[in-house]
Amino acid sequence: MKVIIEADNNSVFSLRDLIQYNGLLINLAKRDFLVRYKQAFAGVLWALLKPLISVLIFGYISSKITGGANSATSFLNVAIAMLLWQLFANIYNDVSNSIIGNANLFSKVFFPKIIIPLSTILVCLVDFVISLLILVALFVLTGQAVHWQIILAPIFIALTVINGFGIGLYFATINVKFRDVKFIVPVIIQFGMYVTPVIFPTSYYLERLPTALQWVYCLNPMVGAIDGFKYCLLGDASLLNIPYFITSIAVSFLFLWIGIKYFYKFERNFVDFI
Amino acid sequence: MSKESIIKVEGLSKKYLLTKNVSTKSDTLYGNFLNSIKNVKNFAQKKDTEEFLALDNVSFEVQQGDRVGIIGRNGAGKSTLLKIISRITPPTKGRIEINGRLASLLEVGTGFHGDLSGRENIYLNGSILGMTKSEIDKKFEEIIDFAEVEQFLDTPVKRYSSGMYVRLAFAVAAHLEPDILIVDEVLAVGDANFQKKCLGKMQDVSTKEGRTILFVSHNMGAVQNLCNKGLFLQKGKSVMYGGISDVIKNYLELGNTHSSSSFDFKEQPNYKNSKAYFTKVELSDINGNPCSNIPVGDALNILVSFEALSILEHIVIGIGIVSATEQPILTTWSKSEIFKEGQNKIEFKFENIYLTPSVYKIVVGISRGSEVLDFNQNLIYFTISDIIHIPNADRLINTNSGLLLNQLPYKIL
Repeated sequence: MKVIIEADNNSVFSLRDLIQYNGLLINLAKRDFLVRYKQAFAGVLWALLKPLISVLIFGYISSKITGGANSATSFLNVAIAMLLWQLFANIYNDVSNSIIGNANLFSKVFFPKIIIPLSTILVCLVDFVISLLILVALFVLTGQAVHWQIILAPIFIALTVINGFGIGLYFATINVKFRDVKFIVPVIIQFGMYVTPVIFPTSYYLERLPTALQWVYCLNPMVGAIDGFKYCLLGDASLLNIPYFITSIAVSFLFLWIGIKYFYKFERNFVDFI
Repeated sequence: MSKESIIKVEGLSKKYLLTKNVSTKSDTLYGNFLNSIKNVKNFAQKKDTEEFLALDNVSFEVQQGDRVGIIGRNGAGKSTLLKIISRITPPTKGRIEINGRLASLLEVGTGFHGDLSGRENIYLNGSILGMTKSEIDKKFEEIIDFAEVEQFLDTPVKRYSSGMYVRLAFAVAAHLEPDILIVDEVLAVGDANFQKKCLGKMQDVSTKEGRTILFVSHNMGAVQNLCNKGLFLQKGKSVMYGGISDVIKNYLELGNTHSSSSFDFKEQPNYKNSKAYFTKVELSDINGNPCSNIPVGDALNILVSFEALSILEHIVIGIGIVSATEQPILTTWSKSEIFKEGQNKIEFKFENIYLTPSVYKIVVGISRGSEVLDFNQNLIYFTISDIIHIPNADRLINTNSGLLLNQLPYKIL
């Protein structure tokens, strides 16, 4: 094995690194997951309780405001969107803080730093899978039928991961120098939830925007992911506005590209700025 | 046939930009608030920065199986060098070529998490250091044997004693199988027995298994024992690279720029914090002339000045001599005395100082009862030279004559 260290070779994303360090990826994720619920009385149950509380609150609000005849559908809609939104929010928040949170590691040992945010994703995904039990329960309670489209659902989960990862990586990089990020991220998440079809469907927002400006709404990359996920679980194609849907997905990948690019531009120098 | 070099460092430099802290720090919340507003307002302004060369054009080559000790005073760039070779931080200039798998041990127990059990931490730490799961599985028994923590494997490490913690952490690292092992001052932790065990392990790793080691330590004894080559860094520049004995000798003679006959502590504001603090230590020879280079067997007078902020009773002043390898040699102290307010002086006299020629350090302390008022252990160096008054004395380095050269009276019977 030959390694050459020079002043100006910026690091790049390499799949070989990932394979070589997969043990570290798993172990870091395991650590975070084990530690997160240690000494908490309810333990892993919190992975269920946290989203459940949000679903109940916002499901109730939604059914009151939309005044729909069927509050069960309201709850179902909110639950589907809320779980995916929380997956995004958790990844975005945790990835943003992952680099500075693990500075003690990479300031002492070399490894590809991308491992850290990636391991964060794994932890968030485990939480997400646990929270899916809420959906299962709601499906059973409301007697909601399962459609064939459900096999496409992983695509939109992946899209959500891409969103959280891309944007999170960008913020994680800024966070290395400016700790202000820690305060900004929760604000963006809170605000973001209200401009994303979580409590209300996309149509609710589009109806309230002038037609010329409707496309702006779809620059939100989570619009595509959530609408797609709803479509997969409820099988209702009327939820999809194809051009907007595609715009939103394109934005997702743009953000991912920017995030990775920005991250690798500064990755090598993190230690000197942390 | 010359062996291929396993590490080749060419013209390595590392520059840091230090931001001069212009904004004044405030202790109050309100002051802090105002400062942060100022910060935001001045965001776009160019900050005053200062360049600092931590490493300046350092080049050297390491052959397979070499054990290189990197020595130098604090801030000489030793740790920066290790960090660059370990790929933790990039160089500003220069090039390094490494032929082999490298593992660095810049800290004991990187990534250890207190809430995880010993077992979980072994896997976590091992994977951070670059071991695969199967490698750790294979070494697992050996690791817990070395660390002697078998009964506590499933206890969270936050419940470990600090000794157990360090043993476990070192054990994982010691069982890495890299071609090149980089070790930074990790032996400073742990008790003497454990340090010996670690050094032994490192020696095994290098001599029996032919691995290459780069080792940073301030403990000249350890460096001398372990290494066959030395790199002496001073203010980021490489002063000397060669056989370890020569390099250590050079370091002890050249490196201690503080070796002088008089040491003024007034430049050290840290020490102005108690009821009494040292202001000066002066060394003089048999005739009372200022001197920092004492021939073996000559007299040495140590004049210690200190400032008392009030009249002080029950005061004991002590001085000690420590070898360059950090081995305390002797301590002597005054009786319980009363000192007046203001400047006080006390002189200790060695009638004849039979230490082997080398560089030594003086430690001074003031105490009252069990309370230490001031303690200074880093600044005062002097040299015992071999302009000899006793026969057959040889240099400390590579001699077995020991530190004390007292010649005993004897009688032929």
